[in-house]
Amino acid sequence: MAASTTRGKYATSPHRNEPADPDKRLVFLIKEGKSFFPKEYYPYWERACNKLSHAGYGALIPLSYARHSPKLVKILNPETAINLAATVSLAAIKVNRAAAELLSKAAVIAAHELKSEQAFTAWITTIEELIHYAPESVLAVLERTQKVLTTLTPEQFRSWVLAGLRSTGDDTLRQIQYFSFTDPESEKWFRHEAGDVVFTDLDRRLKLYLISLWNLRPPIRDLPTSTSPLSLRRISISNGVVQMPEVFPGFHDQQAENIFRAGLAHVGAHLVYSTKRFPLGELKPIQVALVSLIEDARVEYLAMQTFPGLRKLWLPFHVAKSNGPKLVPLLLARLSRTLIDENYKDRDGWIQKGHDMFFDPQNNMTDPAISRRIGVLLGNDLGQLRAQFNAKTYIVEPPYRDDNMGLWDFGDYQGQEQDNQGIFIEAMRMEREENQDSTSPDQDRQGEDEQSEQQYHARESTDPEHRESNVAVRYPEYDYLTSTERPNWSCVVEYNPDFGDAHKIDRILETHTDLVNRITNLIRSAKVSLPERLRHQSLGESLDLDACIDAIISRRMGHVPDPRIYSTTERKHRDLSVLVLLDISHSTNDRVLKAGTSVLELEIQATALLAYAMSELDDPFAISAFCSDGKEDVHYYRIKDFDVAYDSTARAYLAGLQGKLSTRIGVAMRHALSDLITQRTHRRLLLVISDGEPSDIDVKDKKYLVEDACKVVRSVSRLGIDTFCVGLDSGGDNYLNKIFGRRNVAVIDNLDRLPERLPMLYLRLTA
Amino acid sequence: MNLDSYLITEEPYYSPTHNEVQLFEAAYATRMPMMLKGPTGCGKTRFIEYVAWQLKKPLITVSCHEDMTASDLVGRYLLDAEGTVWHDGPLTLAVRHGAICYLDEIVEARQDTSVVIHSLTDDRRILSIEKKNEVLKAHKDFQIVISYNPGYQSVLKDLKESTKQRFGAIDFDYPKPEDEAKIIAHESGIDNKTASKLVTISERSRNLKGHGLDEGASTRMLIYAAQLIAQGVSLEEACEVALVLPITDDHDIRNALSSAISACT
Repeated sequence: MAASTTRGKYATSPHRNEPADPDKRLVFLIKEGKSFFPKEYYPYWERACNKLSHAGYGALIPLSYARHSPKLVKILNPETAINLAATVSLAAIKVNRAAAELLSKAAVIAAHELKSEQAFTAWITTIEELIHYAPESVLAVLERTQKVLTTLTPEQFRSWVLAGLRSTGDDTLRQIQYFSFTDPESEKWFRHEAGDVVFTDLDRRLKLYLISLWNLRPPIRDLPTSTSPLSLRRISISNGVVQMPEVFPGFHDQQAENIFRAGLAHVGAHLVYSTKRFPLGELKPIQVALVSLIEDARVEYLAMQTFPGLRKLWLPFHVAKSNGPKLVPLLLARLSRTLIDENYKDRDGWIQKGHDMFFDPQNNMTDPAISRRIGVLLGNDLGQLRAQFNAKTYIVEPPYRDDNMGLWDFGDYQGQEQDNQGIFIEAMRMEREENQDSTSPDQDRQGEDEQSEQQYHARESTDPEHRESNVAVRYPEYDYLTSTERPNWSCVVEYNPDFGDAHKIDRILETHTDLVNRITNLIRSAKVSLPERLRHQSLGESLDLDACIDAIISRRMGHVPDPRIYSTTERKHRDLSVLVLLDISHSTNDRVLKAGTSVLELEIQATALLAYAMSELDDPFAISAFCSDGKEDVHYYRIKDFDVAYDSTARAYLAGLQGKLSTRIGVAMRHALSDLITQRTHRRLLLVISDGEPSDIDVKDKKYLVEDACKVVRSVSRLGIDTFCVGLDSGGDNYLNKIFGRRNVAVIDNLDRLPERLPMLYLRLTA
Repeated sequence: MNLDSYLITEEPYYSPTHNEVQLFEAAYATRMPMMLKGPTGCGKTRFIEYVAWQLKKPLITVSCHEDMTASDLVGRYLLDAEGTVWHDGPLTLAVRHGAICYLDEIVEARQDTSVVIHSLTDDRRILSIEKKNEVLKAHKDFQIVISYNPGYQSVLKDLKESTKQRFGAIDFDYPKPEDEAKIIAHESGIDNKTASKLVTISERSRNLKGHGLDEGASTRMLIYAAQLIAQGVSLEEACEVALVLPITDDHDIRNALSSAISACT
């Protein structure tokens, strides 16, 4: 939904009575300004104007400022008007003249919308941030001031701007697309900030709903943006993939949830009951529309046989009235209603006929052929009534229903030139192509979205770097600047690890015999956890019945009774599971001089020894590694899972690790935790081994990833999961302490001692 | 000693789903140790009561727990004014006098405890009571039955392989929809139509198993819901109380489940 405003609309052109010469005009405007400002402020404003005019920005910028800024005096106050000059100047230097010129005008619009000085200051601060971080996009944002601020508060505006900066990273082109609303993400986050219920918010519960009803798990993805207005977009099913509009405008809160739910239930009914596609054949557009409509009614009818409650869900959206004008789209909506709403009476003969044909007791409702038969007949009738049907503007009503394109088999239509009857189909086809187009490379956001559905579709690739397993999961990320989590923000993709030489791991154990022996000894005495009842104790909180009886027996026999007649509980058995998460970012390739090898190599050695200790202890454990390539591609490698043995495959994976890419630690931890959380042991520990500060190619603000990781740690500690980090960066205290808390970090300075320190640390940690 | 108090006098209501009753009777004929497997609340305990009644044998049930020791099963010396008196534990009682001994949720007991049954579960059929220095030969009517819910065993809590192999097993699942409706109607007194609605609802919850729920709604939970309905509670509320709230604290799952239930009504 790109706003159609252009720069031309805001361009400063001479008004009546104004001199044509720019210099004279500025003098004229500055004089005019006198009447707007209180006496004591005017000189400051005059000075600001002159400063802009002498700064060498050209004539238009000071003119625009002189013309517009006085208006701020009345709406807000003189200081704001004067201070604006500084921001204009900043824009002129950092961005370009067009943006600086537009800023004054946009400021007035903003002031009108926001009305308070505080809100205006918040807005202008965000603009300044934008000037600083994404100068190329400033113009696009200023042009849309009206649109944005009528919907968003300044705080929401900032949050939306930040979402844009965070999601586009350094990619200027995508930034511009985002801020000019050509990137679908933009609209999505805009709606999100505006408080509209977007599908992302309900994603999980609605998917569960569909599983619960029919045990269906179709891939669901965002509907690609198209030129059609938001309110006219419908759900679409093609090849079993459900495309969802991010938002149904005009539906709020519970209503919005209901329409998404109604839509998904309707989709479910199609997936269950619309078993085969109708051939398009020689059908006229109106017939296509009617067959689709009857099919909608049929699948809903069948669904309601099993789930009568669905009627309550669908019915409120059928609002057609029986007394409207006899326009085809209205008639169709009335027909839809009469087929679902028993209490709706329509006296129109054609609609009654449709009703009677549909509810004919002879019908075998489970057979899709009846939809075709009835639809075609009703279409003929309408044709005879000479009712006008414009296929291009026709939109399925009510809005929860899908566009029904998935119902039709378009056959080899592509090759044929149809003349008279193809409009509706043409319209359909155009839309179809649009949908397909949007997965083309120019919309790479969309392409990446595709990845997010890899839970369902493993992507085949011959490039060994991209051998992915079939898991891709989206996680939220926390933005400290807005103190909120953005849902489904980044995506973890599980890749199959490379095979290395498993013997390498065995050799590591062999070369560290001393250490292995020490570990083995320590293992014997290591203990943690679950309470166990100890009987026959000299101290304790309860009597041990068997011991008491023995004691009394001894006494009666005249012996000295054993005083150990109590029982107590103590934590004795180890009941602990551990997930070791290895950072394998590019920096792990750095060489450690003392050890004569790389950081990663030391990590592998240490992990090999640790894995030995853990498997000897019988602690359930898993090992994973991660690195990241932007928020859409956080690589995750499963070296060993909890439920598989630590065998030669796992060792080969461990030996095959390679250092690359960046460190988006928070998301990787979220993914690791989703595994760890399913463990049913008394203690659960996430052990992170990291060599450097969190970073990623699309993140400029380093604090962002630290704060996000910090959020993860805090939220899991509430679930009773411990996190501990072994830092391999001697300067890492600061951020690691921040993320994990001071007591849960061990920074290892002498990296060459890591293989020795890690298993010891582990034993101490779990003792 | 008389085990009459362990006899089940009234016929427990049980609706067979397959031929499990015949299978069990055949196993009893040779006194084969049996294992009843299946999700929680699907009727394992009711089944054993039913067959015990059918066979007219006393049934001694022990609910196993973590703190249970071998003496809790076998017995111990207690004191009275005269001196020590031996008290048979429930297992010994069953072995000595010929009862079906049902160890419910055996995995909950520690593995070293469950080992005491080993000598009873092979052809020796003996129980050695060390403290009494007695080797007890099992009564001809004695049979051991355990229940085992593979659904929620953890890595650490599983039966030893050597224990598992001593048992024949019958697998239980929730009954077929029409049977389940009949059971619910019988147990709660609600009409068949509402009962079948409850069964449709349970299917919604069982679909979510593995998608956030460890187990779907059991037959027992459905009966609870039905009993609330019989008391005049509305169907929606009864489902919320008996089927949704107990099994999940996850907001999204609750929402999905409640909405799916509302689609059924």
